[in-house]
Amino acid sequence: MPAPKLERLLNLTALLLAARLPVTAEQIQRELGYPEDQAAFRRAFERDKDELRSMGIPLRVERVPGRMPEVDGYRIPREEYALRDPGLTTDELAALHLAASAVQVEGMSPTAGLLKLGGLVPTAGGHEIGVRVANLPADPNLSLLFGAVSSRRPVRVRYHDREREVDPYRLEFQRGRWYLTGRDHSHDEERNFRLDRVQGSVEVLEGPTFEGPPTATPGRARGPWALGGDAVINAKVQIDGPQARWAIQHLGPDNIVSVQGEDSVVVELPVTNRQAFRSFVLGFLDHAEVLEPPELRDEIVAWLEAMAG
Amino acid sequence: MSTKPPAPPSPSAERLQRLLAMVPWIAAQDGPTLAEVSQRFDITPAQLAADLEVIWLVGLPPYTPDALVDVVQEGDRVWIHYAEVFESAHRLTPDQAVALLTAGASVLALPGADSEGFLARGVEKLAGVLGVDAEQILDIDLGAAPPEILDVLRRGASEHRQVRLDYYSHGRDSRTDRDIDPHLVQAQEGSLYVVGHCHVAGGRRRFRVDRIASATLLDTTFPPPDDDATAEVFAADDGDPRVVLELSPTAHWVSEVHPVEAVEERPDGSTVVTLAVAAAPWLDRLLISLGPEARIRSAPGELADSARRAAARILARYR
Repeated sequence: MPAPKLERLLNLTALLLAARLPVTAEQIQRELGYPEDQAAFRRAFERDKDELRSMGIPLRVERVPGRMPEVDGYRIPREEYALRDPGLTTDELAALHLAASAVQVEGMSPTAGLLKLGGLVPTAGGHEIGVRVANLPADPNLSLLFGAVSSRRPVRVRYHDREREVDPYRLEFQRGRWYLTGRDHSHDEERNFRLDRVQGSVEVLEGPTFEGPPTATPGRARGPWALGGDAVINAKVQIDGPQARWAIQHLGPDNIVSVQGEDSVVVELPVTNRQAFRSFVLGFLDHAEVLEPPELRDEIVAWLEAMAG
Repeated sequence: MSTKPPAPPSPSAERLQRLLAMVPWIAAQDGPTLAEVSQRFDITPAQLAADLEVIWLVGLPPYTPDALVDVVQEGDRVWIHYAEVFESAHRLTPDQAVALLTAGASVLALPGADSEGFLARGVEKLAGVLGVDAEQILDIDLGAAPPEILDVLRRGASEHRQVRLDYYSHGRDSRTDRDIDPHLVQAQEGSLYVVGHCHVAGGRRRFRVDRIASATLLDTTFPPPDDDATAEVFAADDGDPRVVLELSPTAHWVSEVHPVEAVEERPDGSTVVTLAVAAAPWLDRLLISLGPEARIRSAPGELADSARRAAARILARYR
């Protein structure tokens, strides 16, 4: 009589976690009440292994030492399995829970992670964030890249029909989209990659890890004009009318060249995406003008002349 | 060798995951109540009873009573002993880490967030066990806003009090004063919005928080909305004029971003869409930024000529 599956999976996990040496399939079959029929055992054991691996449990296959003929066994290395206790207080756990109910990444449930940290804890006193955020979009490469960023492993990315090797420095969520920022080996400089434009699956490369990235300035929002792969051109733009105030507040002091009253400002922007820059400037209609460089100014004029007919 | 992202868990994997988290937690406490365990692990008391039945049968070879995990239930409390093999929970998968760190970093990135509060400390501890510096590897921007304005809107929404806005309408390119009943604040496409009933427009509208020049909390209260305020708030007005645009294949995104009323796909990949125009400057912006990728096929009155006139008006600045 086969043991119920859940009990068997728990006992399998316990057996492999407790094992000092790899445990052979034969031992596993004997100890855990798998079917005696070899084919039936193989099928059930394969499914169980898949189940554990689908949960991210590090199930290793290793040679059993000192056995002749050579035979493979299984083990879950405790140091790779165990979560180091972060020592969260109840209030901190509740704050994480609250944040996770306000902001979610599509298709990534925060529940399983919270359970591992001590469960779902309600916030005392009913504090509210007062903000409910639409789901952040998911991306098939997001977790993989997070893993690569965390472990400092280079990745191979297909972008604009070209393979690139990149040291992934950080993930950014800007203007409603995910980006990867990292050093593109072929250009030896920091670039941004829009995740929804990455073609296919990212490959995490084995081999040496990279040195720590230069320190980022957290919370520095970047405009769409700075999220491109072109060489940097600094553009001066005059913005006036009711939106001058917006520009002063949101483009940040580093980008402000001069302020003329409440209704006019000159800003300097590092442009790496010309198309996005053009849309940004033209979005102000006749409340903005590209002052420098002539190259970008001429581009805007040519665009408008074609439309004005 | 490359690592593949794990597939979503099956129902049995979900239960296994829960048990692998619950056993170490109970074992580390001194007899929590069944009610607390059910709440923390998001299950009913009946499910908890069924889970405890299973834990009873778990242990190590030779699976004699002394080699099994010991579950003791007394009154409404429960203890787990001899579960050394399960003394730690399983570490977070990349998916789980991304979900939690992103949520935490997002809320901390909201203007005016407490950078030393419980959440900030929780995120720091979590990042610590994951071996990362959350501030360095995740940079999240949900949208900018003056913290004091955001604060007024959040208070208005949670205390159900009206707010007076001095608002710059991008669509109409004009500044107006208006009173609104703020229903909620939400982030979308890189900006923060307040969604609420606008007493000037006489209906539900959304306002970009960074275009609010000032917000004043009023004493007038309003009844809480009885529906989900995140529902579509951009329903076009029947009275708005309609334009028909021809879009090249590269401008296909227009029909994904804007509420189009009719889309006709043509064999060459181009599309013909019908859009309601609530404000003329909005159409000007769309056409100016699309340039040769869009052509007006039909539009009433002055709108037919809007791209050309807007381009000429902007060009005047450059001459």
